[in-house]
Amino acid sequence: MVQKQRQDAAINALRMIPTKWAVIIVVAIIGYVLLQPQINKWFGLSLPSVASLVGDEKQTSQKKQEKFDSNEKTSTTKADSKASKAATEEKPDKDDSVNKAPTSQPRVSQPRDSQSRDSQPRDSQPRDSQPRVSQPRDSQPRVSQPTVGAERDSEKVHGFLTEIGRNRFESPAGLVYGSGSEEGHRLKHIERHLEDQPKRPGSHGVFEGDMHAFLVAIDDAYSRAKRGDKGTKKIQDEGSTIYEASFKKPIGFLGGQEGGRKRNPPLKQLRVVVRGNSLITAFPF
Amino acid sequence: MNSQDSKIIYVESCPICGDGLCRIRICISNQKVTGFILCDECEAMWTDPFMQERVPTNADETDPQCPSCRQSIWGKNMHWANIGEVCLLGWFDQVQMVDE
Repeated sequence: MVQKQRQDAAINALRMIPTKWAVIIVVAIIGYVLLQPQINKWFGLSLPSVASLVGDEKQTSQKKQEKFDSNEKTSTTKADSKASKAATEEKPDKDDSVNKAPTSQPRVSQPRDSQSRDSQPRDSQPRDSQPRVSQPRDSQPRVSQPTVGAERDSEKVHGFLTEIGRNRFESPAGLVYGSGSEEGHRLKHIERHLEDQPKRPGSHGVFEGDMHAFLVAIDDAYSRAKRGDKGTKKIQDEGSTIYEASFKKPIGFLGGQEGGRKRNPPLKQLRVVVRGNSLITAFPF
Repeated sequence: MNSQDSKIIYVESCPICGDGLCRIRICISNQKVTGFILCDECEAMWTDPFMQERVPTNADETDPQCPSCRQSIWGKNMHWANIGEVCLLGWFDQVQMVDE
């Protein structure tokens, strides 16, 4: 009854006011209808909906309350934690694949800068033994951003290179590792510089670290030398470019026969030979 | 595999990259044997063991080409020279040998 009286009063009031004001009021009401749920959400207010003001209060308010309650249940209050746990535990049964993937791939949101790559546990797991595709792609959901990122991460070769074609891999700095060299692939070729070859005539630069660390160092040296940073050099040769960059700390030692003669002195510089953007070789010197 | 195959035959350390060995690469195509010098590290090439003349390469080539057959230097008809081939080319006095 009271509501009907309110409605009548409102209609009478609208009749009395000029058209211009009526239009403004209508626009304001529409704006309120659209913005009210958002305002409630943003500021935690409980502004009544127009429907509830007009009289359709029961139906809509019940729905809202249910929604609000379910949101509150999943929030962090301790009192509701049991209820929220029950609510969230029920969901995986309905769509198991969607919810499992992000939790099984925790490294997805890491930034791609070189420091974070360095901070990854290098020695805990041999990278070569890591399966490149740990899960069949089709079984992975593609709905959420973290899962997509995880897919990319699992596809990285040596945890660093992205496959861009058949046997072609690209580093974040844009160096391409493809087939070639005596070993058949540039990655195989540079792998020779992870170990000393004491019988090899002349010098043989040896990088101290695993393949991932070596690739990171190559990318770092290449980027700095390409920019022309201090302590770098760029030499243009017949069809190829030689980049040299120094590091603050030793990155390896001098191996080979010459290195043996000199008692394997530490090396602080890296030489990167490229043709176009394809890596030919890289080694400490 | 004979004892010749287990030897590295080279001219000198690479003057370009400093880490590679300038070795003799043999190309056999159309029953013709050709040799040239190739750094096993940076893939710089010379026409002969006196290393006066460079073999030009293009920046857009993934693999440099043999100056004779224009195929990849890592192709099927290519290999490192053995002592016999070095002698055949008349380059024996210019090379050094070490066990691999």
